[in-house]
Amino acid sequence: MSTLKEILTRRPVAATIRLTVPAGGARPAPPVGPALGQYRLNLMAFCKDFNARTQKYKPDTPMSVTITAFKDNTFEFTVKSPSVTWYLKKAAGIESGSSRPGHVVATTLSVRHIYEIAKIKQSDPYCQYMSLESICKSIIGTANTMGIKVVKDLD
Amino acid sequence: MNSNQTFISAPLGKKMALRHFFKHLTILTSSYGFCTLSSRFIHPSLTTLFNNINPKTQPLIPTKFSLPLSHCYTSLSHPSTSTLLSPYLSVRIRCPKDIADVFSEALMCFGATSTTVDEDDNCDTSNEICIESIFPESEDVDVCILRASDSVGLKMIPSYEVKTGEHYDWIKKTQESFDPVEVTEGLWIVPVWKTPPDVKATNIILNPGLAFGTGEHPTTRLCLLLLQRLIIGGERFLDYGTGSGILAIAALRTSFEAVAESEHETYDVIIANILLNPLLELADDIVSHARPGAAIGLSGILSEQVPCIIDRYSPFLDNISVSEIDDWACLSGTKKLSGN
Repeated sequence: MSTLKEILTRRPVAATIRLTVPAGGARPAPPVGPALGQYRLNLMAFCKDFNARTQKYKPDTPMSVTITAFKDNTFEFTVKSPSVTWYLKKAAGIESGSSRPGHVVATTLSVRHIYEIAKIKQSDPYCQYMSLESICKSIIGTANTMGIKVVKDLD
Repeated sequence: MNSNQTFISAPLGKKMALRHFFKHLTILTSSYGFCTLSSRFIHPSLTTLFNNINPKTQPLIPTKFSLPLSHCYTSLSHPSTSTLLSPYLSVRIRCPKDIADVFSEALMCFGATSTTVDEDDNCDTSNEICIESIFPESEDVDVCILRASDSVGLKMIPSYEVKTGEHYDWIKKTQESFDPVEVTEGLWIVPVWKTPPDVKATNIILNPGLAFGTGEHPTTRLCLLLLQRLIIGGERFLDYGTGSGILAIAALRTSFEAVAESEHETYDVIIANILLNPLLELADDIVSHARPGAAIGLSGILSEQVPCIIDRYSPFLDNISVSEIDDWACLSGTKKLSGN
């Protein structure tokens, strides 16, 4: 929620940049370099910031970053943990979801897995005010669309 | 400035030691991200390089710079620069304005590594907008756009053009964004392609390439301030993970004598401005380069990461203190006189 002061001092936006960057691995190379260079944003400040803020993730975890580039060449960014589908595939050890979700079950996961993913997702911006339970439910929904069955206990 | 002179005119016998110092600095560096000290810098040209130093403004780093070597701090090998300048595809896609956001997300899911949408200023009456997007060269752009269009329910595939990305463009634009920075009173960091704003000040003329340490980053400032407090003259200083070399050069310019005699493998002042994980992993190594009682500065960390660093380093350090700018912190302490 923006305060009045923030609204009044808001800088004009030049562009919105979306990037996938490995945790702790932002460097002056494509895609980060060309994407930020286009708007003359401080590339190294971004790399240093991003890398410092993603130290808690395993190196090379693909993080999704959204950068707001302002017209005065400053920027702000938010980092989201990887997509729920990425976590589900990692947890299940599969490359892709079911080719016919709802008909063919690709694999099964236990609610424990879901709970662990939900805990990570809760630290994302915009998820911090959601209850763990509702995040879990949403993850189970995603799992179902991928043909991943969620059970109470794995046999 | 006197000690600066001392450094330059170091007798022949000490040149090996000097080289040792820089070699060391570079070895530590090259295993880190964003290092720009190319091997050209450490090899015999070193002496020539430093002999060329004039007291005031002068380029301290050869203009020929290699690009950063590696982003992965655990990797000791040198991946070739080709991984950094790997070819990429720049794709410009025209799509309806109202779906620009969802379509960008979809592109990211199906293989794009970046998408950029310019802010819509409402002065343009067309209902289409361009998405600039970057793909790795290996990616099949046609398939990605087809799938992305499908997933957001577009009736027809948007028009797009594919170009091979030019590295020159973004490197040049990035470098243009570096401006001279006054770190403390009378100490300026000036990129080699800009004119020093104050010729009478101590100017560190730097060719940062694309490396860290252009001076404006809070952690660089924290380290430089710490350095200014610690360096009186005659200390042996190690910049662990040097980046653009800014700290080492600043130490030189403030007052620093490189008398790293070969039997002394330890330093009086060590500053490591890297990241949380390498600081935790390399704690033993970093501390092992310090003599007992030496000052150690650790930065590149966020304020919230300070407790982890204190936990890891308190067995080694006394008099721990923390300074902060914005979200960033710099921890300093002195190596314990005895024990470990």
